[in-house]
Amino acid sequence: MPLESISTAPVPAGDEWHVASILVHLRPERQDAVHAAVTAMQGVEVHAEERGKMVVTVEGPQEGWIADRMTAIHLLDGVLSAVMVFHHVEPAEASAPQDI
Amino acid sequence: MLDRRDFIRAQAVAAAAAAGGMSLPAMAQTSMIAGEDAQLKWSKAPCRFCGTGCGVMVATKDNRVVATHGDMQAEVNRGLNCVKGYFLSKIMYGQDRLTQPLLRMRDGKYHKDGEFRPVTWDEAFDEMARQWKRALKEKGPDAVGMFGSGQWTIWEGYAASKLMRAGFRTNNLDPNARHCMASAAVAFIRTFGMDEPMGCYDDFEHADAFVLWGSNMAEMHPILWTRITDRRLAHKHVKVAVLSTFEHRSFELADIPMIFEPGTDLAILNFIANHIIQTGRVNKEFVEKHCNFRLGQKDIGYGLRPENVLEVRAANAKDPTDSKPMSFDEFAKFVSDYTVEKAAELSKVPKERLLALAELYADPKTKVMSLWTMGFNQHVRGVWVNHMVYNIHLLTGKISEPGNSPFSLTGQPSACGTAREVGTFAHRLPADMQVTNPVHRAHTEEVWKIPKGLLPGKIGYHAVLMDRMLKDGKLNAFWIMVNNNLQAAPNTNNETYPGYRNPDNFIVVSDAYPTVTASAADLILPAAMWVEKEGAYGNAERRTHFWHQLVTAPGEARSDLWQIMEFSKRFTTDEVWPADVLNANPQYVGKTLFDVLFRNGTVDRFPLSEIDPEYENRESKAFGFYVQKGLFEEYASFGRGHGHDLAPFDTYHQVRGLRWPVVEGKETRWRYREGLDPFVKEGEGVKFYGNPDGKANVFAFPYEPPAESPDKDFDLWLVTGRVLEHWHSGSMTMRVPELYRAMPMALVYMHPDDAQARGLRRGSEVTVMSRRGEMRTRVETRGRNRPPRGVVFVPWFDSARLINKCTLDATDPISKQTDFKKCAVKVVAV
Repeated sequence: MPLESISTAPVPAGDEWHVASILVHLRPERQDAVHAAVTAMQGVEVHAEERGKMVVTVEGPQEGWIADRMTAIHLLDGVLSAVMVFHHVEPAEASAPQDI
Repeated sequence: MLDRRDFIRAQAVAAAAAAGGMSLPAMAQTSMIAGEDAQLKWSKAPCRFCGTGCGVMVATKDNRVVATHGDMQAEVNRGLNCVKGYFLSKIMYGQDRLTQPLLRMRDGKYHKDGEFRPVTWDEAFDEMARQWKRALKEKGPDAVGMFGSGQWTIWEGYAASKLMRAGFRTNNLDPNARHCMASAAVAFIRTFGMDEPMGCYDDFEHADAFVLWGSNMAEMHPILWTRITDRRLAHKHVKVAVLSTFEHRSFELADIPMIFEPGTDLAILNFIANHIIQTGRVNKEFVEKHCNFRLGQKDIGYGLRPENVLEVRAANAKDPTDSKPMSFDEFAKFVSDYTVEKAAELSKVPKERLLALAELYADPKTKVMSLWTMGFNQHVRGVWVNHMVYNIHLLTGKISEPGNSPFSLTGQPSACGTAREVGTFAHRLPADMQVTNPVHRAHTEEVWKIPKGLLPGKIGYHAVLMDRMLKDGKLNAFWIMVNNNLQAAPNTNNETYPGYRNPDNFIVVSDAYPTVTASAADLILPAAMWVEKEGAYGNAERRTHFWHQLVTAPGEARSDLWQIMEFSKRFTTDEVWPADVLNANPQYVGKTLFDVLFRNGTVDRFPLSEIDPEYENRESKAFGFYVQKGLFEEYASFGRGHGHDLAPFDTYHQVRGLRWPVVEGKETRWRYREGLDPFVKEGEGVKFYGNPDGKANVFAFPYEPPAESPDKDFDLWLVTGRVLEHWHSGSMTMRVPELYRAMPMALVYMHPDDAQARGLRRGSEVTVMSRRGEMRTRVETRGRNRPPRGVVFVPWFDSARLINKCTLDATDPISKQTDFKKCAVKVVAV
């Protein structure tokens, strides 16, 4: 899948809400460029960064949406690897705020 | 008040940060599993795909796998998952899953040209047994054979070995691992007298330099690649050298990137040995104490059919394994031809990079890890090139200690555990023993409780030879399990397909899905897969790991273990064993093969009550005893006490795998060195105890060219291989919609200038053509793989576009492993 369509496509609606976290290793000298490319993707957020590493979450309506972004990140210039750590799915309506 | 999604998001971030060794603002340790997932039943299992052996946690609900995630407790992957592992839960639920036996029939009975019709297991085995008995009666044991896999569980491979060797009295048993790492296995035995790496994955955190010999770990071993990446980014002095015949994703991390001309890795390795010697960096004490030197046979041919002109012309095609002793000085003289100039000229790698690479090995202060997979092993000189990498580690003494590690990676989950350790190759018995050795056969007969002299001593047909013998009508009853050989085999249209459709032959394929191989069979048997059965795998670092049956297989699908054992009931000893053997051993008369192989007092000695009541176990229930435990314990008795020691069966259900030898409950991370390996005694220092003299063998071999090189008619090198999204032939991953969509077809990757010179551009529809066959696809010039001019890369996962119609069935003459990396093609517009 071309990267252009990954970065610009809006998050579609769906019956399920998926969230996954991905650990990204990257060339430190490319950190800014990778950060920019990753944050430009819809549904993707950078949560933590260290030299050469980044933790991002991907949210979307299906597993395929998550996997496409994981592969797209893996293939970015300067990215050395992008691997899945956590994945959670639940019905989309379960999103109402509630006390934990 | 915290939004529920914020909470889950925070959990996700915490888990990833922990897995990556990153610090976050203080956060409570939370469970990996949130919300409803917590109510699921979670169990451990190793991943079903590559040889890395990642641990996964598998969630089941209502007899269905509903989720998987990386196992935080698994040392191998520490909670990480690659994209294939992410979709593990979906591989069992493809829409075209096979659920009943299918037999080609016409007019109500079997017919070679009939249509597939559903039959019962009884009908399937009746016809199959009839065909086996016909072949055995007409031609004897050489006419039956079995092609298995490095994806068999340990007990499946072991049961298959018993059925073929002791039951049918043939060594015509080979795994598809022959295509994957036979060269590595053979070189291990010839160098160290024992198979498998001396080091382990812990080397990743100790090495100062990593050298990838042809391996694209970023895509094929992504989880191990994160460990190298971590080490490289956290330690400035660490260097990564990547050698390949084309540029791929692993080059992103390369400090020393090298694109070399196919086949010239031989010259580069001899140059490194020469450089070590010329610059006075040989570890003389190590070499004197621990190494022998041998001059290997040269001009050994290319493993083609014997009448091929290349075989007739080769001086030593008949005895490729010969070698004779030589001195260190003679070895030094032998490699002295391989100057940096010569290596650069042959390989087209700049001299400075070759010297930088050689220094990683020569510098005594640099701990170096060499890594390779198919690039080395699928090579007409695959055994040589494996030897050559051991040569440079042995000359410098950089071996068998943390960080100094020649490490052969594997591509299948149990290539080591089943194909190698159990010994499902045509020449092997359990625990590194050989079928040609009468002492080894006698020991096996004793453990198996079968008559003396029963086991055949003749090496069976290897993978490529099986295809040739099927085509030539000499092998007539053939069972293929857990592999897709018609898609995987070289020159498949000319050398594999004709054998399957040869009217003299009856072909059985056991699989979970209707692969191209299954479609060409006469009988298809539906197989249970992965956690639909209790299993055990052995990964690339000698780690044995187990899992329980977590769900039941759909419909009539049954595990390979059940199929093998149930089929053995169809034969009595008088139908398959010689009369003189039975006359001398009357206690076996009238027994079935099931009785003598599996009801032998050893395999059937554990009752059903020993099965964990939390888990189903279909095979054991079917046969009335704890089948997996009995088979494992009988098998493990071969290896205990001499360096292949496995832990007791029940231990493996508790732990996340253990690396053998396991002695007094402790696993072994580095072998052959005092203090690290319990089999090396105090004061011995280093001992390569697989060989009687305790020494390793350094072999001298020259550079020799590949079997086929580009010429004016076929002007490009073809290199085949894999991609991140799909595993091998894609029979599982192509059925996961998300993975299929991410990489739906095999493209031909080529240099833009090569495309332009042929009037092509990105996306052009083309035919890739060799002297043997052709396939149609589209051109990719900007993708993740970037070949230099003169080379094209095509992956082989795509069953609709079979690149193996083009490849050449040349093998390494010693290991019999095919070279899928070097043949000549042309690419033309459609």
